[in-house]
Amino acid sequence: MDLLLQTLINGILAAGIYALVASGLALAVGVVGIVNFAHGEFSMIGAFVSYLLFVGAGIDPILSLGLAAIVLFLVGAITYYGLIRPVLAAPELNQMLLTFGLSVALQNIALLMFGADTRVVSTSYQGATITLGGVSFGVPPFAAFVLSVGLLGALYWFLGKTRLGFAVRAVAQNRLAPGLLGIETQQIYLLAFGLSAALAGIAGVMLSVMLYASPTVGFAYTLKAFAIIVMAGLGNLRGVVPAAIVLALAEAFVSTYVPGGGGWVEAVFFLVIFVALTWRSWRLP
Amino acid sequence: MMLAGVLLFLALVLPGLPLGQWRAFTLDTAQFAFLISGLALAWDLLARTGQLSLAHGAFFGLGAYAAALSAPALGTIPALLIGGAVAAFSSLLLGLATLRLQGMYFAIATLAFSEVMRTLVLKAQFTGGSIGLPVQPAFGGAYPLGGYYLAVAVLAICTAASLLLSRSRFHYAMTATRQGEAVARVLGVPVVRVKLLTFTISAFLAGLAGGVYAMKTLFLSPYDAFGLGRAVEALVIPIFGGLYTTTGPLLGGLIIVSLETWLRLRIGEGYLVVYGVVLVLTILFLPKGLMSLFARRKGARHA
Repeated sequence: MDLLLQTLINGILAAGIYALVASGLALAVGVVGIVNFAHGEFSMIGAFVSYLLFVGAGIDPILSLGLAAIVLFLVGAITYYGLIRPVLAAPELNQMLLTFGLSVALQNIALLMFGADTRVVSTSYQGATITLGGVSFGVPPFAAFVLSVGLLGALYWFLGKTRLGFAVRAVAQNRLAPGLLGIETQQIYLLAFGLSAALAGIAGVMLSVMLYASPTVGFAYTLKAFAIIVMAGLGNLRGVVPAAIVLALAEAFVSTYVPGGGGWVEAVFFLVIFVALTWRSWRLP
Repeated sequence: MMLAGVLLFLALVLPGLPLGQWRAFTLDTAQFAFLISGLALAWDLLARTGQLSLAHGAFFGLGAYAAALSAPALGTIPALLIGGAVAAFSSLLLGLATLRLQGMYFAIATLAFSEVMRTLVLKAQFTGGSIGLPVQPAFGGAYPLGGYYLAVAVLAICTAASLLLSRSRFHYAMTATRQGEAVARVLGVPVVRVKLLTFTISAFLAGLAGGVYAMKTLFLSPYDAFGLGRAVEALVIPIFGGLYTTTGPLLGGLIIVSLETWLRLRIGEGYLVVYGVVLVLTILFLPKGLMSLFARRKGARHA
């Protein structure tokens, strides 16, 4: 019973960070209409920002969160201006290839700069755990979960209650009409893509503590985020949280209950993508 | 067509040229370039139907492993065919499930497929897992140039397939599918079947190239054979050279593999950065690839 409860808790806690990464990707896909294969690399940059600040200046990752968000917002904005905007009208194949190329380039630039080693930001509270009635969990995952929930709440509030959020949703629904109504479509795209990268960057800072910073750390999250937004329906932000919970729980159960589970967890996201896509492709005409 | 012929001739006589101490290195690099160009031509076939496949690295790896495992029992040529067949069969299954999907959905599914194939090969026992798999050289090592000429043959087969498919009636079906699936369907093109057939042919060729690659390197590991690097090479080369053409991937393959080999010697790990950068720059500034430069110049001369 305790094992089941523990598995459930592990799954739910992991879902927070998944939802955070996937929400960013959903923003890029839903608002800008770009399938960003480099999304996980934004997380990777966030993880390295946290690592460098920690090692170089002794800055705690909690403080790096804000800095990484700003840095990644800028990276996202530059990416949008330099790379995404020129191909907005190009065929979808070109857009996907462009972001895929960016992903490969960023991964390998990081590899050239830092090598393939994994680097952990080892804070004093890294190994701390909380025990509640037979189940225990680490402080960093719990904090990451709470922070993710808070950020997602803020994101939903922004999109649902503010004028700017309305504008973002309007642009997501229709590319032409908001422009005619006086909404600066280009600026909304810029904002959405920057936010998307910032969310990924914040998740990256969390990863640097919970997992590690390495050139390839983001790529797995690109795939997981894709699994989630495919399940939710591409660009459907509201479905992201339940989809993230499903994926994280599935992973937690596989790693606990499947014998020799560890490596098979890597295959779970594939199964999720596959089932979701196949179901979609046979249901739609 | 011209270039393909010249290239084939050069490839055939290359081992006979007086290269001195550079001979072994040149032949090894050329063999690698032929195989990767073959893979690129195979990828381009599927791209002609408008599908972005990130699974060609996996087909290459599947072909490599299948050929390596069956070669001791069956001999070199049947083993290579088995390699192609295994890749083709897996693409058929993947395609049946996903080729109704369009654009990004298909690309994501193929990316997930290649990641999972690597996990499976890592986890399985008979593949040697993460330790790797030693492979026998082609023809049991009886002919020193056997592997080299197999690579030439694979490139010739891929080139022939690419040329034939761009001159056939099937070519129109592929182009129509790419340019507008709904319209193609209205015109009576069975788009799912066209994509599935192209996907299978394309994967077969990729698997064939993978088998020869296994017999060239003599050692396979999941990280090498199923790495994302192969999938990246497979798609950057045609895009750089010129999509939907035969000459483009051939030309691109020669240039990019040369660049890659040079960089690999100089900086080692991270050499894939050139692929990322070339891909981004090509999409931004030369979306039709190198071939568009020639086409433009030719057009200007006629005018």
